[in-house]
Amino acid sequence: MLINEAGARNLRDSAPRRPGFLSSERILSILTGLPLRIESTRRCRRCWWPENWRTLDCAMTVPLKELSKAYVRIAIELVADGDVAEALTQLFLQSTMATSSTQQSGQDWDGRYYHVDQILDVPGPRTDPSFSPGDTVKDFLRNQCKILVIGAGGLGCEILANLALSGFKDIHVIDMDTIDISNLNRQFLFRPKDVGKPKAIVAAEFIMNRVPGVKVSPYYGKIQDKDDDYYLQFNLIICGLDSVEARRWINATLVNLVDPENPESLKPLIDGGTEGFKGQARVILPTITSCYECSLDMLNKPTAFPICTIANTPRLPEHCIEWASVLEWPRVHGDKKMDTDDPEHITWLYEQAAARATNFKIEGVTWSLTQGVVKNIIPAIASTNAIIAASCCNEAFKIATSSAAYLNNYFMLIGTDGVYSYTFEHEKRDDCPVCGGEALDLTINSELLVEQLIELLVEKQDIQIKKPSLSSGSTHIYFQAPPQLEEATRPNLGKKVSELVSSGGEITVTSTSLPFSLSLRITYS
Amino acid sequence: MPDSQTIESATTALATRTPQPDTKTRRYDRQLRLWAASGQAALESARVLVISGSATSTSILKNLVLPGIGHFTILDHERVSPADAGNNFFLEGQSSVGKFRAEEAVRLLRELNDGVEGKADTRIIEQVLDNDPAFITSFSLVIAHNLNENTVARIAKLLWEDETYPSFVVVRSSGFLAEFSIQFHEHTVIESHSETAPTLRIDKPFPALLEYANSLDFTNMDPTEHSHIPYVVILVRVLEDWKKSHNGAAPKTYEEKKEFKKTITAMKVKVDEENFDEAEAQAYRCWTESSVPSEIAALFQDPKAFSAASSSSSTSPFFALLAALRAFTVQHDPPQVLPLSATLPDMKSNTVNYVHLQTLYKKRAEEEKAQFKKYLALSGGAGIDDALIDSFVKNAHALKLLRGRQWTSVHSSAETLGNSMAMNSKHVSTHLALASLSSLQAKQADTKVTTEALTAEAATLLPSGLELPEEWDEAAGEIARSPNADLPNMAALLGGLVAQEVIKMITKQYVPINGYCVVDLIEMWTGVVG
Ligand SMILES: [Zn+2]
Repeated sequence: MLINEAGARNLRDSAPRRPGFLSSERILSILTGLPLRIESTRRCRRCWWPENWRTLDCAMTVPLKELSKAYVRIAIELVADGDVAEALTQLFLQSTMATSSTQQSGQDWDGRYYHVDQILDVPGPRTDPSFSPGDTVKDFLRNQCKILVIGAGGLGCEILANLALSGFKDIHVIDMDTIDISNLNRQFLFRPKDVGKPKAIVAAEFIMNRVPGVKVSPYYGKIQDKDDDYYLQFNLIICGLDSVEARRWINATLVNLVDPENPESLKPLIDGGTEGFKGQARVILPTITSCYECSLDMLNKPTAFPICTIANTPRLPEHCIEWASVLEWPRVHGDKKMDTDDPEHITWLYEQAAARATNFKIEGVTWSLTQGVVKNIIPAIASTNAIIAASCCNEAFKIATSSAAYLNNYFMLIGTDGVYSYTFEHEKRDDCPVCGGEALDLTINSELLVEQLIELLVEKQDIQIKKPSLSSGSTHIYFQAPPQLEEATRPNLGKKVSELVSSGGEITVTSTSLPFSLSLRITYS
Repeated sequence: MPDSQTIESATTALATRTPQPDTKTRRYDRQLRLWAASGQAALESARVLVISGSATSTSILKNLVLPGIGHFTILDHERVSPADAGNNFFLEGQSSVGKFRAEEAVRLLRELNDGVEGKADTRIIEQVLDNDPAFITSFSLVIAHNLNENTVARIAKLLWEDETYPSFVVVRSSGFLAEFSIQFHEHTVIESHSETAPTLRIDKPFPALLEYANSLDFTNMDPTEHSHIPYVVILVRVLEDWKKSHNGAAPKTYEEKKEFKKTITAMKVKVDEENFDEAEAQAYRCWTESSVPSEIAALFQDPKAFSAASSSSSTSPFFALLAALRAFTVQHDPPQVLPLSATLPDMKSNTVNYVHLQTLYKKRAEEEKAQFKKYLALSGGAGIDDALIDSFVKNAHALKLLRGRQWTSVHSSAETLGNSMAMNSKHVSTHLALASLSSLQAKQADTKVTTEALTAEAATLLPSGLELPEEWDEAAGEIARSPNADLPNMAALLGGLVAQEVIKMITKQYVPINGYCVVDLIEMWTGVVG
């Protein structure tokens, strides 16, 4: 089925984003009357449109509510004629016309915001005098405020629903993942039929169908794909991620974005995270309050087992599993990549680990533990995500409306023994590599080798830089890339740091995974 | 070293098994890692009644339906209003307006999980209380959100009548402020998932452990072996030697403790022996006496533990187990310790030494468990199944027994309230302000809520001898601002908090609150009154 180019152009040119849109796949489903699943490995990151069909712009989506039977009939007739593009064009144009007329006339029915308006119509005893109650604040929240949600998983689903109900109408969401069956115990915008589809797109579609008049623009991809201009368009950013790396990236990006001449460039970042019955929410005002990097040492240290334990002296079932995945997989499978989402691969690892455990008389290797260790699974439940997402959205609401003071700046919840929470101000670090400006003092042994320093930088709780490259002034100490530079600097790995840098001298540490550099002031003990 | 025989038999055994989890296990994987199959089974057999289909109620239910509660019923006679359609995610905007709130919400909640049964009941709660109270008592747990205070009191009274009746969660919210409490007679927890590890009994080593430690010749040991002796063994040995030269006493003073640690460091044959570093870091275990934790000792004083010991009939397993535990701590040698835990933390060692030590602990733990079982048979627990006994013994250091009280709008103990006020008067202000609002609205539903009216009401609720807390005006003023607001974010937050507590109550794992949990979303804090 070839797509008519003119039709495609037509669609592309007139492809605004409107409430209640359908994905391209759903349109085709409706057009053909068949439950359509397109089996294709590569898909467009934004619209889930198969890549080999990409002559159509992926922004092409049509509103669900306005898909009257008439349009579908026209479309089906056209499809029967073999002109899919024309059919889609018709469908699209008709429905956009329909949307633009209905959209103006009262998505906001009388009484819709009865609850929220009680807060927005009058100040409370603790409300800042700058709060301007009534129409001004409502207009800003509902017609002007643009908010970005990073992550459409456990926290993201909850965040999207809360924002939509609170009155945010221009919401964007980024997520690079697709839906897995193990998400369904908490990611409540997804159903079993959605397994395998992109989270951002399914979540956006669900919210737009459920909460009328709210526009959710999904992006199926990485946050790193987007540039400064993209992030500058938002008033607020909420992060519901499970990746430390991604959080560090967005945090540093937003700090770098701040232009002292332009107050609009300061984008409040609200960050949430959960693990089991525990979680935290925080408000970061880039350059003003403590940032994500400032608090890196508060993270639980990732459990890393020394390679000699894994290879020679296993004691725990985890050691046997690590042996299977770190040493045995590459030995047996060579270059074949291990896919931790593939149950067959987990089964293979489980069998190797279980056999090793039996030989060493170690008990406790199970399939579930194997999967947990190799995927670094963090337990997650709907209720904790609900608490943390609600805290984040409440802060977003307060910041957007000034109806109450916002959190300064850290909220921690532990629900394992009663309900325990702790609200406190996390202090900014002067030597924070992202927002501090001062070099970080590091005292090392004068015998320490460059390769040992690198190991230290990877492991040290407040640094944690994977694959760091090191330089001092104009001296290249060690570079991970490009290959020529790596080769040229490799001999330095075996040298003592003190041979290359004098006491009180500075080392600049960079890494491709992080958009900032770290300055270390070295002294020797 | 592994021999080929073992490898072969191990692989054959594996090949016949099908270890991959089924669809249900995969769906619930992330929560099974928190409460295991036993917790999941408890959830799946639970039946929850939620009264009102408000935004808060559906948020709570969402977090119970997703993890797979067995059954839920929403009891609500009201029809969807435009305001409901605006703040409740489990309604479909304007198209739900005018329909029964319970029916719409149940339909949309059920979409979340095929394995959950959901029912809508559109009767009026007061009439159910009058004509069909058995309906309410037939559930495992009842939740009420923003109900008329008189109705709440009637339900609370009904459910307090019998110990076997369901627990009752009362939730009230108003704008940025909220609170909830759980009415239960008694709640016992074996699997509290405490982060405190049980003692390794280094100060009171069992014979096999002591014998092993004494058998080692540290001075003439192969250096590799020397660096692989687990710290537990090192400590037992150093302590034993120390006692010999100190009249059988462990280090007491700061100087002695320092000297003790020095002795450990001096034993190193190489600087980088991490097992000795661990031993030094863990040396405090030698002068921290292994005994019955005070919280557990306090449980032994519970009247039910006593009656379990004297009569062999109709005691709940928990109290029979508790009575046996008390008998164990009195009669066992050494006395005043809990049965040994078989769980050994990881430590620097090689496989052989670690597994050997683990085996010693396991064997001893089995022996002590066998002794425990003898006491159990005498305290009416002969029929208790082994899995429960295992779990009880494993968690003996972290058992929990909560005694509740009948729900009242304001905490019924003036003393507790006074103490809470001294600790954090903001918490009490919020608690009182919400109670005052309920009280005002129970008298007249459409009453004008002002700070003054709330203040006058609070004065009548406050036990004599107590004065309104300092932050009263802030809490009362906030309630007066938005008395009837069920904010989407507050609804979602309560949905999470209450669901966590309900899950803890139903699974009998982790520890629920006992008292009023208060929430302030302006300063973003939670607290517990009581
Ligand atoms: Zn910082």
